[in-house]
Amino acid sequence: MADRGRGSAPRGARGGSTRGGRGTPISSGAALDKPKREAILDLSKYVNERIRVKFTGGREVTGMLKGYDQLLNLVLDEVEEEILEPQIHKRALGLVVLRGPTITLLSPVDGSEEIENPFLAPE
Amino acid sequence: MASQILPLELIDRCIGSRIWVIMKSEREFSGTLLGFDDFVNMVLEDVTEYERTPTGTKTTKLAQTLLNGNNICMLVPGSNGPEE
Repeated sequence: MADRGRGSAPRGARGGSTRGGRGTPISSGAALDKPKREAILDLSKYVNERIRVKFTGGREVTGMLKGYDQLLNLVLDEVEEEILEPQIHKRALGLVVLRGPTITLLSPVDGSEEIENPFLAPE
Repeated sequence: MASQILPLELIDRCIGSRIWVIMKSEREFSGTLLGFDDFVNMVLEDVTEYERTPTGTKTTKLAQTLLNGNNICMLVPGSNGPEE
């Protein structure tokens, strides 16, 4: 029944003969092929803190982290977007969902400061 | 863990209401959310498209649209768009 559901009854039924060569399953726990991947950053410590998020494409926002998921989609509240053209200005967006696939950088606002450009030649 | 808001849940609660979608590029859409999928491709209705250019913002009205999730950057539920 299950094979028919997948639409490939002959392929599903006989594993050994058609696979040619990979007949012997060495790992008896075949389900444990992939090690379970955990997030490298525990976002729970940033909940209710202001964070800065940068996106591919150049957008930058800051907001208070309210929620997140494994794919790095975020929920931020009191969000301000920093727009760089025509001049640098901000706009308030309120409660926003940020898409994980477009996020490139996350950092806490607390502890970061803007400094003088260290690469400019001294006058 | 239960005290946090899940992103996709928030979008789900917005179905039937206005939503403002901001793309990676200088383009935004505001419309009524009819639905979305696992990739956050979205179906919107009564849509206004905003194209931001150095010279100003161009708007276009669209009927029912399927918005490709690949370029979606931010979603603002319950908002009527940038001119609200």
